[in-house]
Amino acid sequence: MLIIEDLHVSVGTTAVLKGVNLTVPTGEVHAIMGPNGSGKSTLSYVLAGRPGYTVTAGKVSYDGQDLLALAPEERARRGVFLGFQYPVEIPGVNNVYLLKAALNAMRKQRGLPEVDAFEFLGLVRDKMKLMQMPETFLSRGVNEGFSGGEKKRNEILQMLVLEPQLAILDETDSGLDIDALKVVASGVKSLRGPNRSFVLVTHYQRLLDHIVPDKVHVLAGGRILRSGDHTLAHELERRGYDWVISEAA
Amino acid sequence: MTSPLLTRIAAEHAATLAVQSPGAQAQAHRRSALQSLLARGLPTSRDENWRYANLRALEKANFTPGTAARAVSAAELPAPIEGFTRFVFIDGQFAPQLSAAPGSSGAASLTRLQGELPTSGQAFALLNEAFATDGADLQVVASAAPADVEVLFYSASPAAAYPRLKVSLAPQARLRLIERHVGSVATAQFINCAVRIDVADGASCTHYRLQESGAATTWTDTLRATVSRDAGYQLHLLQIGALAARTSVDIELAGPAARTHINTVSLADGQQVHDNMIVVDHQAAHTQTQENFRGIAGGRARIGFNGLITVRNAAHHADSAQSLKGLLAGADAEIDLRPQLEIHTDEVRCSHGATTGKLDDGMLFYLLTRGIDPEVAQRLLKWAFITDVVANIDVPALRTHVQRSLASRMQDAQSLEELLS
Repeated sequence: MLIIEDLHVSVGTTAVLKGVNLTVPTGEVHAIMGPNGSGKSTLSYVLAGRPGYTVTAGKVSYDGQDLLALAPEERARRGVFLGFQYPVEIPGVNNVYLLKAALNAMRKQRGLPEVDAFEFLGLVRDKMKLMQMPETFLSRGVNEGFSGGEKKRNEILQMLVLEPQLAILDETDSGLDIDALKVVASGVKSLRGPNRSFVLVTHYQRLLDHIVPDKVHVLAGGRILRSGDHTLAHELERRGYDWVISEAA
Repeated sequence: MTSPLLTRIAAEHAATLAVQSPGAQAQAHRRSALQSLLARGLPTSRDENWRYANLRALEKANFTPGTAARAVSAAELPAPIEGFTRFVFIDGQFAPQLSAAPGSSGAASLTRLQGELPTSGQAFALLNEAFATDGADLQVVASAAPADVEVLFYSASPAAAYPRLKVSLAPQARLRLIERHVGSVATAQFINCAVRIDVADGASCTHYRLQESGAATTWTDTLRATVSRDAGYQLHLLQIGALAARTSVDIELAGPAARTHINTVSLADGQQVHDNMIVVDHQAAHTQTQENFRGIAGGRARIGFNGLITVRNAAHHADSAQSLKGLLAGADAEIDLRPQLEIHTDEVRCSHGATTGKLDDGMLFYLLTRGIDPEVAQRLLKWAFITDVVANIDVPALRTHVQRSLASRMQDAQSLEELLS
């Protein structure tokens, strides 16, 4: 699904990613953990195509295509979803409008007709129940006045409606209380399946108690220093990151 | 010293009077207005409050009003707003065949405006006084439900037009007024509008002014409102038409606890210049102002908004808030926002904020990651920028009209239809 080879990325004149290698096969959930400033969010943004991040070397293949050659909206339409660490508020753009426009953009890409309005509302209502979101959220501006936890739930709601092939969730767990974390985790789990891959970027192992990953990678200093199974997350929780960094040195 | 422009105005004025030959009294009155104008002079761009207006457009303007109005059918006019009694003026002249019968219609009664329209003695108000031949005089008395009136000024010919409107609300009266200016001509045209509004004690007036004149129009207007004790005046200004437009608004909060709420949206593109000068004068205690401005300038367009709020000595416990925002949507566009406060007393609460910027990169990227087309995303964000002010329009049919009108200006009528439904 996703193959990252020797990826180097700079922001301005600062090199942030310095040779990332990562393969996420179809149907797997990979967690990327690491200390602050290790390049986790940069990796998420580069995969989604955010301007201002310069790829200086390396390549990224998604579903056999050169991902870096695609514009952000084309990546989205081909099934790449980024759940933001800090979802932006867009007052005046209706939540339900955005959901529908986004879904129709994907459907158009797949050669499907626009979604029927009635069906769409039914679909959204079901997903909202799962995310325990009141229906009034639909008529509000995108993330407008939402609490931190509500914004994260809204990201997962969008993911559930869009059903991406590759979901990159950038610290979706940060700032969530334990109940919200469970709701978010159940949303992710409901979508987990053999045709879909996830990259979960996180600081803490607690999300991984609810979503057991197939692989855990440690990103530090712009490189993946260690990879392992889900038990690596527990080890990191116990021992911190320093030992990984010193062993890699 | 009289400028070449004033000399030409005086010549056109004399020729107009010769053609129209109004009665002696009207003639004297209009001559006197012209004399006052000549003595006073027209503003220039050296005047601080006129810096952003495109006054050079006046040099090319033809000031002579039309003689015979072209026959206009009701089908040519924009659709009326349901529930509103409509009165139509074509090229500044009352059009009875397109209007409700003058006289009383519920709490409101409309007659032809006779005599002068007391405005501020501003140059453009005097110019209107000197040239105008017709106008509307709307009187509203107290009633259970608000009177709903639409006055449509429609330009059918390229001659100059001088719309005039006088509105008087009796104590406790309620009025929702739609004042619409719509142009059908694409050629250059001069329109100079004058409006006077009196809101008596405890009365409430919601005034929707839609400036949708033709694309080559030079527009000037003078609007003066006096708001008495416990009365409210809500003004929604929508500026989308004209090539060069200057709006001058003076609102006097004359009685204790008088309040005003002003929402202005200005949408300019190409070579358009929109200049807005809004003065609110707090003369009495516990008076309140809420002022919002949203402007989007694309292409090489220029938008100015100058909001001056004066709080006089007697106006203790006055409360005013200004929120002015500009969005630059073109590389060569310009927006100048000037919130100004003059406070002459203590114990007031006045806040203001003014920001001008480009579309937010973070918002744009967010929409792109959801598969939205970049051009659609930009239009959505522009739309989002003004929509909170438009949402305050409390007549649903009018709000929809305004939204459609704005959307079509943003060339996104189709995809925005969904937003409106």
